[in-house]
Amino acid sequence: MDFTRRHFMETGIGLGVAGSVLSAGTAAASPAKTPAWHLGYQNAPINGFEAAEMQLAYGQPPADLNGALFRNGPAQFQYGDQYASHWFDGDGLVHRIAIDDGKAVHKARFVETKKRREELAANAFLAPGFGTLGDERFSVEGPDDVNAANTSVLMINGELHALWEAGSAFAMNADTLETKGPKTWRDDLKGMPFLAHPKVEPDGRIWNLAVGGSRVGIYRISASGTLEDFGLVDIGRAAYIHDWTMSARHLIILVQPWINENLRPPVVAGFEWQPQHGLQMLIVDKDDFTNQRWAQAPARMFFHTGSAWEEADGTLKFDAVLYKRPVLGVGGGADEIRGEWAGRQSAEDGVLTQIVIPTRGDASLIETGLIGEFPQVDPRFRGKARHLTAMVSGPSQIQPGSTGLAVQDWRSGRSDVFDFGDQRMVEEFLFVPKRGGSSDKDAWLVGTVLNLKAGKSEVCVFDAARVSDGPVCIWQADYSWPLGFHGTWA
Amino acid sequence: MTRTTSLAALITTALITAPMALAADLTVTVQGIEKPQGTIMLGLFDAATYEDAGSIQGANLKVEGDQVSVTFEGLEPGEYAVKLYHDVNDDGEMDTNPFGMPTEPFAFSNDARGRFGPAKWDAAKFEVSADGTTHTITMN
Repeated sequence: MDFTRRHFMETGIGLGVAGSVLSAGTAAASPAKTPAWHLGYQNAPINGFEAAEMQLAYGQPPADLNGALFRNGPAQFQYGDQYASHWFDGDGLVHRIAIDDGKAVHKARFVETKKRREELAANAFLAPGFGTLGDERFSVEGPDDVNAANTSVLMINGELHALWEAGSAFAMNADTLETKGPKTWRDDLKGMPFLAHPKVEPDGRIWNLAVGGSRVGIYRISASGTLEDFGLVDIGRAAYIHDWTMSARHLIILVQPWINENLRPPVVAGFEWQPQHGLQMLIVDKDDFTNQRWAQAPARMFFHTGSAWEEADGTLKFDAVLYKRPVLGVGGGADEIRGEWAGRQSAEDGVLTQIVIPTRGDASLIETGLIGEFPQVDPRFRGKARHLTAMVSGPSQIQPGSTGLAVQDWRSGRSDVFDFGDQRMVEEFLFVPKRGGSSDKDAWLVGTVLNLKAGKSEVCVFDAARVSDGPVCIWQADYSWPLGFHGTWA
Repeated sequence: MTRTTSLAALITTALITAPMALAADLTVTVQGIEKPQGTIMLGLFDAATYEDAGSIQGANLKVEGDQVSVTFEGLEPGEYAVKLYHDVNDDGEMDTNPFGMPTEPFAFSNDARGRFGPAKWDAAKFEVSADGTTHTITMN
């Protein structure tokens, strides 16, 4: 941790921001009796956020950083005195932070789902969900009736998609953020789930999974958005699958021993930890889905992977944040939504781990010692050997979430870390290739941070090769928005 | 418009209902059909058949515009409900995706919606009176 730099940054930001009054229509700050971090779990305004320029609060924006950071996350936690019963069940708010010529403009809209429309009209939570039983009056004729569209975003050929995991992607206008509706890839696949972690090859081809109990569908979609292939594989048991990974030639479906044979709401109540199965991995040939093999590792729970690559001898290597037992999904952040926090349990820590799958025999786990979540890799190197994984790190000891950003170099074995300290809650950072660069060290890391001291949301840029030097620049909004999940750069 | 009566219904009606003035006509109109093709496969049920038996009467209605209608004649006045689906590709089946979710439009009388299954009888039932009833269903 670099105290000098952190102190300097706090000062710089303090000077750079005029006034502390929240602008009209923004999420209200937490009442004084609730902790500062509860700002991350406050409702966003009903109509989202109109386009507003963020202020450059620190540093110098890179001249070659032009594009937009799109992010998604739950942003409706409360109706009256009724709280959401699970963080995963809040309605998706899709953000666009357009960065151009050193300026950053933020805008956000809720995804207009049936759940959103009906709950807003009733001023109450009604839909069943991952952690929510739901109201008998709420009709459910298919997965998209309960789709929260709150987990990630995917840009395909200029069209934005808000992603959930148990239902369709929702198409959106990337400029206005208006919702178009559920995406049907082919008539016979209407309503099929589309995971929130599609894998995009460096040439733009997209792969994704549809998870339905022990049956898993595989989508192959062209860079232009045409479904090229769809197939089904059987993974043997109804494991929780939030993410997966992919090398240049193989799909790797991780079957963790967190099993739910009864997918009735609230879904989370049906999960059983069955460590006797270990962490199994189904390796599927991208060219022939029937060409499969299994690999086995010790029992672990996970949410997110980085990316995989294949050595010349066929050994597969990939990274993931692994837990010794199920976390978060179980409690679901219900306490945090109410502004309560029981403290950090070390058993909840996820460790960035390299999983090595030899051509024969069991997989091995190589733990880095880095604790955190939201691992990300350079989009130019998805499926390929690379240096780096970036992740949110530095779990706070005094509040939920993490306060730092870490980069692991798989070739040197070293990690590079910057910690903001407890005044900031750090969210996912994405790799944005520098112009003309060829290595994944030639990249910016762009992500969002909730500044608890200022009570405002920020967008930060780091140099992926020098994270411990601290941010290159920070833009600060005149308001805060709730903590979210995942994003994409386009 | 397609008018459908079944022999069985006529016989039953003749045996049970006297005088004939109590035999009720029901006209069901289905509107808001998205694709002007295929067939609306419609079943009429009473309380005894709604949950898990076959329909008491049915109609296959060719779709050429955005609505179709059918009249069931000589019904005994009382409570009925309709289940229907739009067989868009005319393969005679309600198509589903690989995980078993319907991919063709479906609807229930009263525009009732289901919750992890078909709409319940109490939500879909409506009264057919002796002097005739018109019921309109709007596709989602």
